[in-house]
Amino acid sequence: MSNSTTPLYEVRNIGKQYGSVVALDGVNFKIHAGEVIGLVGDNGAGKSTLVKALSGAHQPSSGEILLEGKPVVWKSPHDALEAGIETLYQDSGLAPDLSVSANVFLGREKVVSGILGKLGFLSQKQMDKEAHEDLERVGIAVPASNRSVSQLSGGQRQAVAIGRAVSWARKVIILDEPTNHLGARQAAEVLQIIKRAKERGLGVVFISHTLPHVLQVTDRIVVLRLGRVVADAPTSTFDAEKLLGTITGLIETK
Amino acid sequence: MNRIREVLKNQQFILVLALAVMVAFFSIKNPVFFSIPVFGNILSDWAPVVLMAVGETYVIMSGGIDLSVGSTVGLSGVAAAFVMRSMTTAGQNQNFTILVGTFIAMGVGLLIGLVNAFLITKARMVPFVATLATLGAARGLCIVTTGGGPIGEGPEKAISYSVPWFGPLNTPGIIIIVIVAICGLFMHKAKLGRYTYAIGSNSFAARSAGINVKLHLAKIYVLSGVLSGLAGMYLYIRLGSGSPSSGASGELMAIAAVVIGGASLSGGVGRMSGTVLGSLILTTVTSGLIIIGVAPNWNQVVVAVLIAGAVFIQGFRTWTKD
Repeated sequence: MSNSTTPLYEVRNIGKQYGSVVALDGVNFKIHAGEVIGLVGDNGAGKSTLVKALSGAHQPSSGEILLEGKPVVWKSPHDALEAGIETLYQDSGLAPDLSVSANVFLGREKVVSGILGKLGFLSQKQMDKEAHEDLERVGIAVPASNRSVSQLSGGQRQAVAIGRAVSWARKVIILDEPTNHLGARQAAEVLQIIKRAKERGLGVVFISHTLPHVLQVTDRIVVLRLGRVVADAPTSTFDAEKLLGTITGLIETK
Repeated sequence: MNRIREVLKNQQFILVLALAVMVAFFSIKNPVFFSIPVFGNILSDWAPVVLMAVGETYVIMSGGIDLSVGSTVGLSGVAAAFVMRSMTTAGQNQNFTILVGTFIAMGVGLLIGLVNAFLITKARMVPFVATLATLGAARGLCIVTTGGGPIGEGPEKAISYSVPWFGPLNTPGIIIIVIVAICGLFMHKAKLGRYTYAIGSNSFAARSAGINVKLHLAKIYVLSGVLSGLAGMYLYIRLGSGSPSSGASGELMAIAAVVIGGASLSGGVGRMSGTVLGSLILTTVTSGLIIIGVAPNWNQVVVAVLIAGAVFIQGFRTWTKD
């Protein structure tokens, strides 16, 4: 374990401009191992942009990102994945025409041994088996690994997407609206998965509009408004009313 | 109704059935159809189409389109013809000349594939527009370099390779079948195909899973170019010369084969076996109509009906899901 005072993942003074539009303006926040951070804000507050910077999809215009205290630069999502940071994007994390196991192993396929493996030939049976085990391990019961994702219900798809991200994450997992479009029971399962990921010592960034979920599962809440952090405090200091007020700006901070 | 549904869900079965019905129909109309020489002729028509269609399958599965395959066939055949003519004039060994010609044809295909890849991944052009540009450019170069006529005076031995010796198959045909099989294995059993499907299915998911989408697309367009280059060489061997018009409208045949094979033009759905059967159906119909004495101009109408039928069946399968 690294020194608990060194944050696992940190952004310092991150800025991002799209032309003349300032999406992020001097954003700072930290996440420690085994900590769940809630990232909230109204539409257009900069959540998605921040997620893209954290996951390597976009490079910030200014500022720095530190992983375990060391500055890092993500040139692509691949770099961030390699470093142990998994991201679950809102809605579009899976390839619907591929099977469950193909999605779980997408980009990290297991190949057969020998020369055929060097040519990229896949070890499909092993992946089917391991995908099933991985999903079970993070607490997801999913139908056969070889079914195509397009045949699954919305809740099952989301479960596969989360299971995929959680089972691969080694350090940080970023979940962008993971409880969207889910029924109450499925949402509860997702929150359970987040708790289990926390117990495994992962840092979890939980982005959601569903404030009761945020209050229920997070340790700290970071509130973004118009590209700035307007609040960063332990979850215990918020109640639903105060959180909503902070997001909308009805309660002025600082 | 349930049983009909079950059967219609199996695209491959329908395609085999359609092919069998066609062969039976043509054979009854004119018994000459059911013979080794006719099958040989169908397979010679099929070989270049399936080469283009296999590359096109990768491209379409990835959610793109390659309109340049037909022109690539033309330009690669012409380029190979020029080189082989000079080598023949210089008195080079014929087999060696043909081998060099093959590599030249593949090289031209590779170059056109690279241009497509550059336009699509670097210049961020839509595949339809990028490959429409290379379609025009390559065909234009065919005419400019040849002056419009075929380039012959190459190795005399070339045309002898087009003689069937293994049933209806000739040597290039056998090689092409092996290449098609290998491309099918890479499509369905290896990362190359897996990533192709992933990109066609959801390119954002593919990218966020760490797949280098641009590099992968580049590989696919290059593969399509190289296979079309081989088709160009195949037509040279068949005709004994490089014609500037060879492969004309080949892109339409290739796309038709892929669509008849059950693929979705939006990517992610389809199988290589469908493309193989689709191209076989196309070339069987073309030959069959001629043999039973239908005016060749009807060909296009029949192909159009086949495409419409295939798309209809695909739609039918989608509506009746569950």
